[in-house]
Amino acid sequence: MTSEPQRKPLRFAYHFKFQSGMEQKLEIELDPQTLELKQSYPEQKPEWTKLKFSQCENCPLGADVEYCPVALNLSNVVETFQKFNSFEPVHVTVETKERTYSKDTTLQKSLSSVIGIYMVTSNCPIMDKLRPMAQFHLPFASGLETFYRSVSMYLTAQFFLKRQGKQPDWDLKKLVELYKAISIVNKGMAERLRQASDKDANVNAVVILHSLGDGVPYFVEGGLAEVEHLFSVYTKEE
Amino acid sequence: MPERILIVDDEETLRLSMKARLETAGFVAEVAENGEEALGRMKREEFDVVLMDIKMPGMGGIEALRLFNELFPKTDVVMLTGFADFSTAIECLKLGAKDYLVKPVDATELVARLRSLVRSRSSERALQETRRSFLSMLYIDLLGPLRSARESIERVLKSNAKLSGEQREELSNALAQCEKMIARIQDMDEEMKRSGTAEVESSR
Repeated sequence: MTSEPQRKPLRFAYHFKFQSGMEQKLEIELDPQTLELKQSYPEQKPEWTKLKFSQCENCPLGADVEYCPVALNLSNVVETFQKFNSFEPVHVTVETKERTYSKDTTLQKSLSSVIGIYMVTSNCPIMDKLRPMAQFHLPFASGLETFYRSVSMYLTAQFFLKRQGKQPDWDLKKLVELYKAISIVNKGMAERLRQASDKDANVNAVVILHSLGDGVPYFVEGGLAEVEHLFSVYTKEE
Repeated sequence: MPERILIVDDEETLRLSMKARLETAGFVAEVAENGEEALGRMKREEFDVVLMDIKMPGMGGIEALRLFNELFPKTDVVMLTGFADFSTAIECLKLGAKDYLVKPVDATELVARLRSLVRSRSSERALQETRRSFLSMLYIDLLGPLRSARESIERVLKSNAKLSGEQREELSNALAQCEKMIARIQDMDEEMKRSGTAEVESSR
């Protein structure tokens, strides 16, 4: 079954309700075809978004690029939450076209979901490899859910490669390499946000993303052992 | 026996991911979500290293560090923070933290730092053991015979034995040497007590 290409933007509406009664809304819209973030930037872009401000060790972008695409995508959310503590309790509702999610959680955990989308939809040559996951965004995902979504996305990509006559990577070796590169970007971004924020909510949101990403190579190198038993219906077949 | 690590962080994702990484590396890892819970666990179980976030609701990392160093001096504490601040790092080290790591920390780096800390704990323990057995040897093989020699010389000097002036002087010199060596060994024992090494004489 094939479906019509989506025309409407992919929309995630995050609604934060703090214990103090304060509320904050974030609307994320992605282009339905490219999954690129639809966002307008202020004319006066913050200094910390400049590529050279704290360029990631493995950044392939050259001197012709003035602003770090990830930092630029994050600029609005970082400015909004720069004065918040990471462990601030918050009730978060996330509306998508299909369903609504809600959870009592901490600001850092919910921000990590938001920042995750911004990072993979920015045109950063490294983070972009995770962009298909934005279509299947899962707010407040656990480590295991994130690992499974990453591997699923990557294996789907290998299927398409094979169908196009290219060499697929069924052993997931390049996925491990990819997450090692992403880990460096997360560290670079945490360093940037440390300098852009007064308190630690933004930084710790990236720290959570880093810890999830850092776990993917272990999940893969461990042979996906945590979920293998769930597939016995396939693996027991002759 | 694998080293026991207690991970203290208010964020569940970080606690669980560090626990998984450390267990894969061969450590025994347990978790607590704040200083109070960590304190409760430490009262019930012994840990080699506590890996603790600084900013946590309730009892924060700095307060917990101060308390743990007082109550559990044999446990090393490594502080973690997402918000690096030079003065906080200095404060943590002054309060007795063994290391200070800025998050995010790669699992490989975390494991390497913990292994290095564990190695230095082992070396310190081996050094203390060497000092203890050295002191023990001093007490058993040297102090006892020295004290006997001192008593014998004192007895001879106090007796009515006919001694020449030269003999008396030589015995007095020998007595002074014995006293000096006994005092030196006792000083070393005091020094060991001050540095936390078990007291040898009382443990004999």
